[in-house]
Amino acid sequence: MNPALAGVALAVVVGAVVAGSARNARSAILGLVAVLLFGPFLADPTAQPLGLAARIVGAILAGYLLWIAARGSGVWTGGSRLGWPTELLVAAAAAAVGYGSHGLGAPPLGPALAQAAGFALAALSITPIANGRDIVRVGTGLLLLASGAILVRTALGGTPEPLEQVVTAGMIAALGGALAVLAVTARAEGVDFKLAAERSARPRRAPDAHPIDARPIDAR
Amino acid sequence: MSLAVYLAVTLGFAALALATRSRTPLSTAIGLAGLLAATIAAFALNPAELVTIGQAGLAGSAYAQLFLVLGSLVGLGLAVSGLATGSRRDAPMVTLATLGIAGLTLTLTDPRAAVVAATAGGLFGVWLTLASGEDRTGATLGIRELRAVVVAGTMAIAATAWIGRDLTQLAAQPVVFGLAYLAFALAVAVRFGAIPFHFWAARLTDAAPETALPIITVLAPASLAIVGLAWTDSSIAPLLVDLEAERMVVLAVAIASIVLAALAALVQDDLEHVVGYSIIGDAGVVLLAMAVLGPAGWAPARIWILVFIVTRSAFAAWAGGIRAVFRTGRIDDLRGWVIRSPILAVAFGLVVAAGIGLPGLVAFEARASLVSLALDGPIATLVLVGTFAPLTYYARLLAVGLGRPARPPDPATDWRPRLQRPDLTSPVAWLRSTWDLNRAFSAAVIAAMLGVLALATSVGAFGGPDAAAGTPAILEGPSESFAPPPFTSAEPSFQLVPIPTR
Repeated sequence: MNPALAGVALAVVVGAVVAGSARNARSAILGLVAVLLFGPFLADPTAQPLGLAARIVGAILAGYLLWIAARGSGVWTGGSRLGWPTELLVAAAAAAVGYGSHGLGAPPLGPALAQAAGFALAALSITPIANGRDIVRVGTGLLLLASGAILVRTALGGTPEPLEQVVTAGMIAALGGALAVLAVTARAEGVDFKLAAERSARPRRAPDAHPIDARPIDAR
Repeated sequence: MSLAVYLAVTLGFAALALATRSRTPLSTAIGLAGLLAATIAAFALNPAELVTIGQAGLAGSAYAQLFLVLGSLVGLGLAVSGLATGSRRDAPMVTLATLGIAGLTLTLTDPRAAVVAATAGGLFGVWLTLASGEDRTGATLGIRELRAVVVAGTMAIAATAWIGRDLTQLAAQPVVFGLAYLAFALAVAVRFGAIPFHFWAARLTDAAPETALPIITVLAPASLAIVGLAWTDSSIAPLLVDLEAERMVVLAVAIASIVLAALAALVQDDLEHVVGYSIIGDAGVVLLAMAVLGPAGWAPARIWILVFIVTRSAFAAWAGGIRAVFRTGRIDDLRGWVIRSPILAVAFGLVVAAGIGLPGLVAFEARASLVSLALDGPIATLVLVGTFAPLTYYARLLAVGLGRPARPPDPATDWRPRLQRPDLTSPVAWLRSTWDLNRAFSAAVIAAMLGVLALATSVGAFGGPDAAAGTPAILEGPSESFAPPPFTSAEPSFQLVPIPTR
């Protein structure tokens, strides 16, 4: 096992545990940034400089946009209800499964540690995605899931080409930007990122840019 | 070079529109100018262009060009219709970004990169869920859409990664091919909001204006579906593996979407939900194509996707036009719409003719081919009949339109064009007031124009059948285009990969 790669994998998983369990929104975002920054280095051979640079820029952009959305003190997100030790154990178990099943039935072209970290990230993403009650919590799960899928892709297919790395960087930045826009919008009605309660009635549809007249268009 | 120009135009104007978002008129003008420039750039695309970057690259094709030309045209039409009928201020920006990323998705030669691009293309739709005064509700709808896009993208990334390598030394059962195929097919289903994955799409319909819906639920997922078809035909179909169980799951989702979405559209009481479910129903035919698993389905599936994009966009523009005339989307309040707006009646007829088609039309034949290729026996006949289910909600809308109008006409929303005496002392104010007076007329004319475009696509104009049957140019070197080779006979032309038996 390559010790440097093991260190990078550990950093990715620890970042994911922090992102999935922290209740302070900015701590969660810092964990996410660690995942996004270290993830591209979890490849053997190391990605070409162009692709690596693109991934780093994409990660920083996504993290920065989310950081802006969580501006202010005492901005909270859901965090893990079971606590970080449980999240760490879940990640460790999933990483063991990923490491042990490296290649998923056929000769792999990438490192086993990438698959281990990818499985850990995917396992940690399940609860926030399925049960998250606020934008940052669900968004954290989505970024972990996307990063995990990319790591598994690296483990199976080898180091991505620079063009694919650029496209991936764009996707990560766009996902971070979309989450930041949603988070800022949710905070416009309060200080937190909570999702709106389910309503039985359908919301009124009001075009915001070019109203035909001052009346609501659909006066139901 | 022409590909780079198209990407630069679409993504550049989208970035500019986003940067000027706080100044709505300027941002809208930039967005519209960008859509116009994108249309011109799409016409100028070189179908034989190859761009090599490292060991991967971009490869143009006549189909990608036609997709982008039609996408740019309907995007422009929907943006102008949205101006007239009321839409989100970010709609032109989102349309441009979606088109640019669709261009990237359709031309990338590596499916593993293409699915990442297709996922990125779906992320911009969240801007269309946000409306002033509905902050938290809009954000909630947006995160649900984002969840569908990312989960679907992850499934597609995993599927392409699993199969995208040398599998001659496969140690596991060949069931992995079935799982990978199922994952990608369900990813496409989730992106379209196919039944039973339709909850996010139904909620989205509550918030997004009609004219913005096709951008999120048609145009962006269509590029993933095209990648999925190409990947399935080149990576899964040539393998001699029994995938009947997985096919059954995909077929079940497709048939449920075709039939149940039409029923759902029939019982809705507002137009936006009729539009939303009509999209899901037509997407069911795309999923049928995913279940064909053979090169014979390649051309009909891609023809249907083109018709699907243009027809559903025209239907959405028609619904927007109706809202501009009646100031409501409630179907019960639309009695007499045929009389109140003859232009919209023409547009409606064109949409029905394009969407349902007649024997001999390319769209009709493509849909019938997909049903017969995916299914056998009586069930094929039943499903073919089911594809005509949209006639039920079209008939309901027509019956309402032919009814006696519920209230006297509103002069402010008259369907005819109206001109004011030009005021040379204040031309901007004159233009603005003239535009305001003609919103209903403008929306109706755009719906009719998109209806003509839909019918032309359905007939097979613009070289659609030839483009759909073709394949992109192949890059030289280790990275090969993942599209299947040209299909010229009834026999599969793929090289079969030996699968070790246990």
